[in-house]
Amino acid sequence: MIVPGELLWLALVGLPTASALGCVVLSPRLAERIARAASLATLAVALLLLVGPARGSAGGILGWDALSDLFAVLVAALYALSTWESSLYLASVRASALSPSNYYALLGGFAAAMLATLSVSDLALMWIGLEATTVVSALLVMYDRRPASVEAAWRYTLIASGGLAVGLFALALLYRETGSLDAFALAAHPPALTAALALVVALALIGFGTKVGLFPMHAWLPDTHSEAPAPVSALLSGVLLPTALYVFLRIYDLLPSTGALGLHELVVAVGALTALVAAFLTFGQRSYKRLFAYSSMENMGIALVGIGLGGIALYGALLLLVAHAFAKSSAFSCAGTALRTTGTSRIDAVRGFGRRRPRTGVLWILSGLAVTGAPPFGSFVAEFVILTGALAQGAYAAVAALIVALAVAFAGINYPLGRMVFSRTDPPDRPADVPEGWLSTVVPGIALGVALAVGLGSIPYLTGAVRIAAGGGFP
Amino acid sequence: MAVGSAQATVLLGVAILLTALYLQSESFVGPQIRAIALQSLLLGGLLTLLAVEQGSLVLAALAALTVGIRALLLPYILARQAEAFRLPERELRAGRRVRGHALAAVLLAVVGGGLYLEVIGPALGGPDGVIPFLLLLEGLLLLASRSNALVRVIAYLEEENAVVLLGALIAAGFSILVESVVLLDLIGVVLVAGFLSRHRTAAGVPEEGFVEELTG
Repeated sequence: MIVPGELLWLALVGLPTASALGCVVLSPRLAERIARAASLATLAVALLLLVGPARGSAGGILGWDALSDLFAVLVAALYALSTWESSLYLASVRASALSPSNYYALLGGFAAAMLATLSVSDLALMWIGLEATTVVSALLVMYDRRPASVEAAWRYTLIASGGLAVGLFALALLYRETGSLDAFALAAHPPALTAALALVVALALIGFGTKVGLFPMHAWLPDTHSEAPAPVSALLSGVLLPTALYVFLRIYDLLPSTGALGLHELVVAVGALTALVAAFLTFGQRSYKRLFAYSSMENMGIALVGIGLGGIALYGALLLLVAHAFAKSSAFSCAGTALRTTGTSRIDAVRGFGRRRPRTGVLWILSGLAVTGAPPFGSFVAEFVILTGALAQGAYAAVAALIVALAVAFAGINYPLGRMVFSRTDPPDRPADVPEGWLSTVVPGIALGVALAVGLGSIPYLTGAVRIAAGGGFP
Repeated sequence: MAVGSAQATVLLGVAILLTALYLQSESFVGPQIRAIALQSLLLGGLLTLLAVEQGSLVLAALAALTVGIRALLLPYILARQAEAFRLPERELRAGRRVRGHALAAVLLAVVGGGLYLEVIGPALGGPDGVIPFLLLLEGLLLLASRSNALVRVIAYLEEENAVVLLGALIAAGFSILVESVVLLDLIGVVLVAGFLSRHRTAAGVPEEGFVEELTG
């Protein structure tokens, strides 16, 4: 028998899938309208899941809980924001490998693949969903056919797929150990900790960690996230990385909370190292989109530290993923406006952007602050909670690493951003700017508003869902 | 498992590993496509053997899919892509590097084999997974060490072959549904990789993949 929650999940995956299939055969104008409507409908269904009482696993292929509900809302929200913003990007593309209709079809397919990953109970099916995101999003990354974007898509396809193959290897070993790949059944009756299970988690960290962009498997991330169209970069950074982290979390959840053969420490160390490396790599960057790509990597590292520590730090990690998703959507949206306005992604070539696009300039500065953990944004609260959790557990090395990473990334991102927006120098022969549509302000404005509201605790349903997903009665 | 079947399984496993080592030592794309086809064919043979031994229709179906898709269809698509996109038949400067690759591959097999037999195997209750483990390592090495677009796709196929082999040898019952969908995924990856290769060539990206914008 189909239960209400199951219907909602089927609709959640079905709506973007139907939109994707429809867009292939529709004219660009109609495809845009259908895609926009489908994205809003998908968001409405995801919100119903979040506030509705029906939660659980229906048995069979589908399976969900508070954690998947939370991630589904993130995916659906950013899918809607990116879809609505895409018309601005598409209007600026001179040559493309695919038609705008196909762009919207791929965008729907990308969202559907992520939502399918979140809607199933079988880890191998989650793997298939993740792999499908690679195939679909690679085509979006190279949409404008520039040599850099084609090469970035190429590297992404090979490295992400190669890494995920290691993840599948881990799943085969897990199946051998437990005879099941049902994440919910395994979580309900965790297998005994053995060296084989430890090997599974370590291989999963490498395999799925490649897709998350963890150090040292991150080579594809800065290329892909910086060269993709801005709305696609928002999806890649804001929700694809967390979706991959979600799959790892399902496997990591099988370990006992203490004494797991050093695996908790390994995960914390990889997270801290990722945050540190990414933070230092923000210095000396020449492209502002690349800057935000490294910021995504840094945030995923910090979130992984929270996951590794567990308890209240896990709550902080999930809160960070929520806040980061919206803040990064806003940051990439503003970056897209900057690219369309100035025609370059080079930091040293953009000056006085705040005078050319005052509203976007302000939003961009605020987005930079939001992704680097400035108060009162959600990322500040989340990072504070993770640090508190780490201190409570006596993980002083992790605390020190995170504080350094946060300080370095704050300077490495906000200083060049400030120079681009506030600098007064301007080329004398600059042509007059063509006004951009209301979407260029409204989309990042909404995203930034949510990131701020998360910090202020103004969306109780969302912060409550984070608390439930983290599995604790935290304040 | 009967002694004869066990010996045949080991022989097929070793033959699969030898094709992996051959792939590392070959710099021409044509022979590499034929080598990955042979590797997949041997994998199909091994699956058939296990299917007969266990009387499993599921494994027999998987063997048929493996031969049909991995040994015939995908190598055919790759050969067509190599021809149609006029990709370089040989990696640039690969001739000078190939001895180093071959040596690294042998060293990796020795070190990886030792690691598996001494550390991982005991944890998993036996040495049965050593060949898939080595195949995975060789696939990763091929992926990391080569710059030719099609060779990297071949490396990915080799990694996936390792997973199927592991599933068959030590994780009996690893979902046939999953294996089947993975085969479809393989086709998707190969087609997308081909599409990207064509645009890569058209966009003038050098084989080494150096693009100024992607530095830092």
